[in-house]
Amino acid sequence: MTEKKILVVDDEVAILNMLKRVFSKEGYTVRSAESAEEAIEILKHDRIHVMFLDLNLPGMTGVELCRQLRKKRPMDIIYAVTGYVSLFELAECREAGFDDYFHKPVELEELLNAAQDAFKKIERWKKR
Amino acid sequence: MRILIAEDEFTSHRILRAVLTKWNYDVVSAHDGSEAWEKLQREDAPKLAVLDWMMPKMDGLEVCYKLRQMEKTIPTYIILLTARDSKKDIVKGFEAGADDYIAKPFDNNELRARINAGRRIVELQASLVEKDKLQGVIEMAGAVNHELNQPMQVISGLSELLLDSLDDNHIKEDLKEIKAQVKSMGEITRKLTRITRYKTKSYLTSKIIDLDSAAE
Repeated sequence: MTEKKILVVDDEVAILNMLKRVFSKEGYTVRSAESAEEAIEILKHDRIHVMFLDLNLPGMTGVELCRQLRKKRPMDIIYAVTGYVSLFELAECREAGFDDYFHKPVELEELLNAAQDAFKKIERWKKR
Repeated sequence: MRILIAEDEFTSHRILRAVLTKWNYDVVSAHDGSEAWEKLQREDAPKLAVLDWMMPKMDGLEVCYKLRQMEKTIPTYIILLTARDSKKDIVKGFEAGADDYIAKPFDNNELRARINAGRRIVELQASLVEKDKLQGVIEMAGAVNHELNQPMQVISGLSELLLDSLDDNHIKEDLKEIKAQVKSMGEITRKLTRITRYKTKSYLTSKIIDLDSAAE
């Protein structure tokens, strides 16, 4: 079985650490970034196809990051995890290309299910 | 809608009261200027006022002037009732802060039309104030969500991790309770994001947003 890698992006270190523990415990390899810029840097070297992005990041926002990544990575599974979005921004999330969105505080089980789904989906597409 | 009439002259007062009541206004009476001033200062004062210019104790002009010194979210719409209709007097009335005037003896249709115009303005201002308030509430709801959901996520996530790694049942029960409480806090912040109306409920001596009827 190949290594299952997840990228988590959040400017709040406490959340990053918590999510790292959660996903590692389930056997995923986790990379984390505190900003969109850092995330882009990581993605240059690491082959990661499942991501959880916070929307409100310093510098480039999670929405912009997703929009930019989507251009070159149509098959990746990108999730938004956010403290606050208005209805208008929710529409923008869809348009930017997020596969799904989670509102904090979210149950860890929901995130784990999402990760599981993401890898299943990627598998299906690979098989055709 | 409530309307105040300030008129010292008995017959004129009675006629005004009768026609306004017929037009479905809820009339608040004052028989001199200081009574009018006292009633218009109240928290629940009528937003529309018909003031006679010439009144004992305090004339209509002075009431106008004093009202305009007050800070009101919705300024009282004032119609001056006057026997004086020289241009100079009319200008003086407007300068004191009146919104409109009507010359005595007045024609009922004209009075009605002028009061209706005032009513439209008061209603428009009230709806603008509501919109402003709603906007403020929505911004506050956004800030609360943004600030509180982060720490709540950490508390609930860490509680869950601890639950998985601990064996002590008493501690586990406590952790479950902590998680349940954070979950209900999350439901409150979620409700805040759905606010579309400005609705309040009374709370002790003041008002608070009524989350259940303000959110869709």
